[in-house]
Amino acid sequence: MTIEKKHSRRFILKGGAALGAAATIPNMFYINHAWAQDVVYDGEVFDAGGATLNVAEWGGGWEEFVRKGLTDQFEKDFNCKLNWDSSFPWFPKFVTQGANDPVYDVANWNLPNLMQTNAAGDFFLTTEEIKANVPNAADCWDFAFASGAGVTWAYQPYVYAYRTDRGALVSNFRDFFAERFVNKRGTYATENGLMHAFFMATAKEFGKDQYDMEAAFTALEDAMPMKISEFTFNMLSLLERGEVDIAVHIEGEALTLKKQGAPVDVWEWDSKPILTQTKTISRYSDPMQKKLALALLNRTLSPDFLEPFGEEFLWRPTNGKAAMPSALAAEGATNTADAVSAYWVPDWDFFVENKADITDRLNQIFGL
Amino acid sequence: MTKATAVRASGLSQHQFKWLLVVPLVAFFVLFFVIPVGLLFATSFNPAKVGQVALVSDLTFDNYIRFFSRSNYLIAAGRSILLASIVSVITLIVAYPMAFVIAKTENPARNTFLLILVLASMQLDMVIRLYGMMVVLGDNGLINQILQSMGLTDGPVALMYNFRGVVFGLVQFALPFMILTLVGVIMGIPPSLEEAARSLGASRRRAFMRVTLPASMPGILSGSLLVFALSISSYIVPALMGGFRVGVLPIHIYQQVAESARFQFGATIAVILFLISATAVAVYLKLGKSSSGGLA
Amino acid sequence: MERKIPLPMLILAILGFCYLLFPILVVVLAGLTTGEFLTFPPKGLSLRWVISFLNSEKYLSAFFFSFKLALMTMIVSTILGTAAALFIARSRFVGRTALRAFFLSPVVLPGVVVGFALYAFFITSGLGISRTIWGLWIGHILYSTPYVIGTVGASLATFDVSLEEAARSLGASPMRAFRKITFPNIAQGIQAGSIFAFIVSFGQFEVSLFLSAPNSEPLPIAMYNSLRYKFEPDAAAAGIFAITLVIASVLLTNRLVNIRRLLERQDG
Repeated sequence: MTIEKKHSRRFILKGGAALGAAATIPNMFYINHAWAQDVVYDGEVFDAGGATLNVAEWGGGWEEFVRKGLTDQFEKDFNCKLNWDSSFPWFPKFVTQGANDPVYDVANWNLPNLMQTNAAGDFFLTTEEIKANVPNAADCWDFAFASGAGVTWAYQPYVYAYRTDRGALVSNFRDFFAERFVNKRGTYATENGLMHAFFMATAKEFGKDQYDMEAAFTALEDAMPMKISEFTFNMLSLLERGEVDIAVHIEGEALTLKKQGAPVDVWEWDSKPILTQTKTISRYSDPMQKKLALALLNRTLSPDFLEPFGEEFLWRPTNGKAAMPSALAAEGATNTADAVSAYWVPDWDFFVENKADITDRLNQIFGL
Repeated sequence: MTKATAVRASGLSQHQFKWLLVVPLVAFFVLFFVIPVGLLFATSFNPAKVGQVALVSDLTFDNYIRFFSRSNYLIAAGRSILLASIVSVITLIVAYPMAFVIAKTENPARNTFLLILVLASMQLDMVIRLYGMMVVLGDNGLINQILQSMGLTDGPVALMYNFRGVVFGLVQFALPFMILTLVGVIMGIPPSLEEAARSLGASRRRAFMRVTLPASMPGILSGSLLVFALSISSYIVPALMGGFRVGVLPIHIYQQVAESARFQFGATIAVILFLISATAVAVYLKLGKSSSGGLA
Repeated sequence: MERKIPLPMLILAILGFCYLLFPILVVVLAGLTTGEFLTFPPKGLSLRWVISFLNSEKYLSAFFFSFKLALMTMIVSTILGTAAALFIARSRFVGRTALRAFFLSPVVLPGVVVGFALYAFFITSGLGISRTIWGLWIGHILYSTPYVIGTVGASLATFDVSLEEAARSLGASPMRAFRKITFPNIAQGIQAGSIFAFIVSFGQFEVSLFLSAPNSEPLPIAMYNSLRYKFEPDAAAAGIFAITLVIASVLLTNRLVNIRRLLERQDG
């Protein structure tokens, strides 16, 4: 089945601007709703009178840490309650319920899914509106706002996480596809942002460029059978149990497994893509919820949260005032305005435009 | 039916208001079952539009054409049917001895204990049971570790993340249903039938094959139908035991609806799945009629 | 003296029971592990995950939610189902078998389909109960009622109507005859049916998949969501509690109902 290559109309700029070239798409759905202007937030603590905030974010170990490091205190300080929904994906829920009755007030995304949702309706506040109401946003580097619809608060490079007790070390992107790892390779289900990035990186490696989808499909087909997981923490357990010997993963989380004493190490992809965490705020949430959402985002961007979170999982902050995790700083990583210029951001516009076809084809390859 | 349910209407049946008994449930079913499912099926004839849930007046066969023109959906349908059939057969084979033992155990305490075991395993959360199975059947799970340490195999034997694993999981799930169906039927077979056959010189096995087994047929049929229906509609077992690599119709429905927000197409797959189940029921009713007895 | 049960049958049955019960054993032992992950055999025994489960607001609240929902479902299913079963057993009209099949049909439809249909229906009809306990309740009732109708229907089918007729001929009104004669005799069937309804609702997964939300999450869904992310033993600890609940409820069933007798009479 041939898939037409649909080029992005936008230039692919290095580094920050490419983090979400959607910034340059005029927001076709913008409705100047009076409501959208009403809420202002100045950074102070306020009493929400027990209001409920609907939050969509990853579960498991992630949820545990974020609750401990951020939201439990937030609930106390602002007198509110968080409804934490970890039943990913968020996109279908947003589009089903519609923009005017947002299913979540705050949502945490990887870029591809965020852009897919943003293209489907007027769901989110723009970064301008957020910047005006979230004091800590002023300290964030410009690249954090590149998506136009949410604020990126952390990022991490892609790696292969692999078991060190299964032969030679991994030193090449193509090692994943090697004979010795047959049926012991791990990747993700088609909705997961890591699978999206892996797909683009595979295209870039095996084809002429990241747009060479056919090359990626062929390589992935040859890589079958593979083990499919839904989320990164789950994949860690597969690695630990020895169900998988090499997996697509991200630097910090994989290294936590190493910290626990498992025979695991990481290898950073030479194409250097990064996984980002971006938070959005729903435009048509009720005023109190919106104010809480802004307050929550403000706290998320604060070094008080970003630093311990970074120390634990090696997430790199986008707030210029936050310190780089010590383990990374020791190796020379620095937190600067063009810190991400060294990284490659796949063309997510292109991906989102072709997503339906890519998903269908990947399903076929996986055997679904 | 027993001899007592003769034609004479009596007691409650003459009560004028007896219709009131059934009206609430009928109303409930119509409002919350017939209408929603009907609307869903109608949506399958709508043009595909991401995120749209509501029914519109535009009608088209596009979704059905898409289903039948892509091999992976047809394969998934075939796989679903094959899976449910295999599971029915295996479950029957595994369940029959168990039901037989329970039915023929005369010691009431032991008998009740066995039934409790069956009911207890039925009530335990499927998700928990599946994780228990995954831990044992995985490539590096207990069974493989044992096999490899005994030198019986070179590499791991793939007991899950494949069709085989899904069968294991579904059989485990369906066993209690089949057992409970069969126990009642076997208990209802008069022992005198088998004794008569034995006294006429038949061996145990012959008596069993010629008398007991055929007499269990109503239970076999209704149990198999139940297991078929349960297996073909399961999402969680193929998802977990199949490692997201075994494509059956419920998984496709889930993906279309919960991941891609393509509701019209999801509805289409649902209709197809429903038709398959309905066909199974029709086959069952036909077989049931010819061997007298059955669920209805 | 020849054994009642031939040896091959017995051996096959024992193997069958092992197959049926091994996941439970695994879950119980895995929930008692000292290790970080769900492995079997467990790396030593400890109660840490059981304690973690007891402290886990998420699992505990899901547990109680499931319990509450199952009770609610049981009550409504039993009432509606018994009434319907009575009607079907006591009426003579052409569509009777069809009606019974109609009420049993949810079981044949995949939970994914019905759950999704209800979800879409709640949204488009503006009922707004799509991610609340009420929406869930409706889905669960649909799936539990067939079991009540099946059990009560079976019990009614073998109940000797002539007893009721005798009472009527002695001058009792229909209501009185029902209350004094019929009801006590089918009480066992109703009890068994209601417990089935509870069991089915508590363990229901697929219907709940589309209809649940964080503050209305049944235990199976909470566990599934949690285990998608990590493969941790506190889910197994939840399993241990579920097992305990199961054994308790089954023992209760056994006291209330003579299961063996009930099954015996099931074949019409």
